[in-house]
Amino acid sequence: MPGRKKTLSIFSFSETQLRFLKYCLGFFIPVVIAYFILELLVLNIPINYKVFGNYLNTHAKEIEVMGLGSSQMKCGFNPAFSEKIAINLSSTSQHHNEDFHILKGTKDRLPKLKYVLLEVSYNHLELPHHSADYWKNTIYLKYYGVNAFERPTWFKDRLVYLSNTRFYSYKLMEYYVYKSSSQKLNEYGFDTNNYNGDFKKLNYNESKIATNKFKIITREDPTIFKENTAFLFEMLEYAKAENLKVVVCTLPLYKTYLKERNPNIVRRRDSVLTVIKNKYDNVILLNKETDTINFTVYDFLNENHLNPDGAKKFTALVNRRLDSLN
Amino acid sequence: MLFSSFSFGLFLPITLLLYWAVGFKRIKIQNAILLLASYFFYGLWDWRFLFLIVASSLVDYFAALAIKGTGEKGRQKLFLYSSIIWNLGVLFLFKYYNFFIDEFALLFNMQQGEYAFSTLNLILPVGLSFYTFQTMSYTIDVYKNRIAPTRNLLNFLCFVSFFPQLVAGPIEKASDLLPQFNKKRAFNTEEVKEGLRQILWGLFKKMVIADNAALIVNTVYASPEDYGSLTLLYASVLFFFQIYGDFSGYSDIAIGTAKLFGFKLSKNFNIPYLAKSVTDFWQRWHITLTRWFNDYVYFPIIQKNLRNRIRRNVAIFLTMGLIGLWHGADWTFVIFGVFQGVLIILERTPLTKNRKSSLFHQSPIPRFLLPIFTFVFITASSILFRSQNIEEAEIVLKRIFSFIPSENFGAMVNKKFLIFVFIMMASEIITRLKDFPLAQIDGYINKPTRWIIYYIFIFLIFRYAGPKEDFIYFQF
Repeated sequence: MPGRKKTLSIFSFSETQLRFLKYCLGFFIPVVIAYFILELLVLNIPINYKVFGNYLNTHAKEIEVMGLGSSQMKCGFNPAFSEKIAINLSSTSQHHNEDFHILKGTKDRLPKLKYVLLEVSYNHLELPHHSADYWKNTIYLKYYGVNAFERPTWFKDRLVYLSNTRFYSYKLMEYYVYKSSSQKLNEYGFDTNNYNGDFKKLNYNESKIATNKFKIITREDPTIFKENTAFLFEMLEYAKAENLKVVVCTLPLYKTYLKERNPNIVRRRDSVLTVIKNKYDNVILLNKETDTINFTVYDFLNENHLNPDGAKKFTALVNRRLDSLN
Repeated sequence: MLFSSFSFGLFLPITLLLYWAVGFKRIKIQNAILLLASYFFYGLWDWRFLFLIVASSLVDYFAALAIKGTGEKGRQKLFLYSSIIWNLGVLFLFKYYNFFIDEFALLFNMQQGEYAFSTLNLILPVGLSFYTFQTMSYTIDVYKNRIAPTRNLLNFLCFVSFFPQLVAGPIEKASDLLPQFNKKRAFNTEEVKEGLRQILWGLFKKMVIADNAALIVNTVYASPEDYGSLTLLYASVLFFFQIYGDFSGYSDIAIGTAKLFGFKLSKNFNIPYLAKSVTDFWQRWHITLTRWFNDYVYFPIIQKNLRNRIRRNVAIFLTMGLIGLWHGADWTFVIFGVFQGVLIILERTPLTKNRKSSLFHQSPIPRFLLPIFTFVFITASSILFRSQNIEEAEIVLKRIFSFIPSENFGAMVNKKFLIFVFIMMASEIITRLKDFPLAQIDGYINKPTRWIIYYIFIFLIFRYAGPKEDFIYFQF
């Protein structure tokens, strides 16, 4: 091939190829630089996962209670009001498979861990688990040191911006451009200013809330139910083997949401809760889903999430339940 | 390894560097690099299936040589049928066995354990339907004397496993792709640039259009009973763009990647939303699959009796039914295919004695409106394609036609996403005579502007990519 240079022992490029290689480098280097700037900017945003991770590292030797679950648990349990030193590692859309990875991945670092709060909400058992490449796995790896990928990890698995460019682009804009975040995280990563939901917008007016539209999944999936129930039992077996006491929680739901639940899903979930209660002596239930006496409209962010006032009440109930165990 | 993944972003340049730098002296080295890279690429999904692809390649390689080696027609047929039985057998075992067993049991109202054959717990090897069809066509073409069998095993293994098109096509004919492995490939900067541009366009379609559409479609189809007519209709229309962005995006990346290595793959899509009839749609959608079924199913059925309307309609019906079944082992796919077949037959049925009086030739609808009508039929049938089962499709269709109010419709409409769909469609329509909108842009746009365009696309992909979704056609 004409013009081929003998510059390297293995590689031997022609002039044309070298020119093209330079052209590509010239084009892609700015892209790579821009990416790493974005990555740094993202890492600088004070997101709750980062605070969780810091707290996990600094209080590892003292933590006794760990909260696990989805956004309901995230909004419902504020470790600041816990009588025992606690951490809430719940997050939006987090399912039992991630909960289990987090528990197993952090257990050895938490010598005093005795109690696990585990959410089993209305449709938890009929929603499929996330796949092993779920974007939050990067967060768990980066901030909690937990490998939920179910495979050896590598450099790319720690790139936060790349894990969900859409979400982090939104966060970047919110934090650096619009400066619009109303979030106020306490030292446990709990958002103490999380009031801006539908209910506040409707001035906590119950008649307006009664007509408010909200999303609720009513679709039944007995196959997923079987798989998820088996997985839940596996988690409880693990907790038993590790001498952990598990408080299986259902969090308060507003009455309009309660009314729209699919009774078959509720029945199946409740039957599992009954089995758990009878089968495991290390498990107790904190079933507050239908508690419309303790939790009023002012305790809710929206139909299925508590606001910080509701979280304060729910955390108090957790305290009482944990006391009853001693 | 997904084309839209970071791993592929590393794998591709490394393979490319090795291929052009180390393998320049001999084609053999280049082909060996391609083969290793292809097996590595495929093995990352599940290394066990490498044995299957090697076995399939060897069966067809030796079957073709045996066909050529023996002059006796009977023995040639024997070798051909052996190859076909192997290929279809593997396909049946992995893809259709459980479906047929379940349907058989259902037909005779039998419970698990009452029948001799039980279902198998097998994973469907990724891309099985694609490479099986490719290898099968090779043996058939050798038998029909359309091509000569290759004696070069390395080239043949490369032909079967060529990684850009291994897992989701385009399904190449041996006569088109195999000779390219024999020819010396010279590095052509313009071709490589063209390949990179096509990859960029494919990534935009996959990550910005398809993955964002998937976000809405998956949410709605996860519980269709929770949504009103308009939302379901919207999600079904979006599904068309999801699958189009997904598959044509994949094809663009595959074709672009092949160009980087000096190969030319067949065009797989030609702006299908401009189709003026269902027949036309299938000449624009997954073109290489339609071509395969035309060559190996449709024409062999009708043979030379093109004017025999009954035979032709049976051939259309069967071909489209099989195309449906090719997509998956479920009645939804079969009915999807059959529905397409019925529409094609209706389009082609003469309304008077004049052969050219069919709807296909003389539609009463103004020509500019025909794509809209075709789109309606295709979207309606794609409800079957998207639904998990017949019951779900029934729920979706019933709810659409029950005119149930869609209270949460506003929340489903993402204006930015619709703008991207518009950009995609407008770009493709304006540049419809080219292979893809960014093709040959260095002919009329200067370098700084070109780079700005590329950077804008890269930005859009980063900024607006939807949640990572598998390529839909991998499951077939």
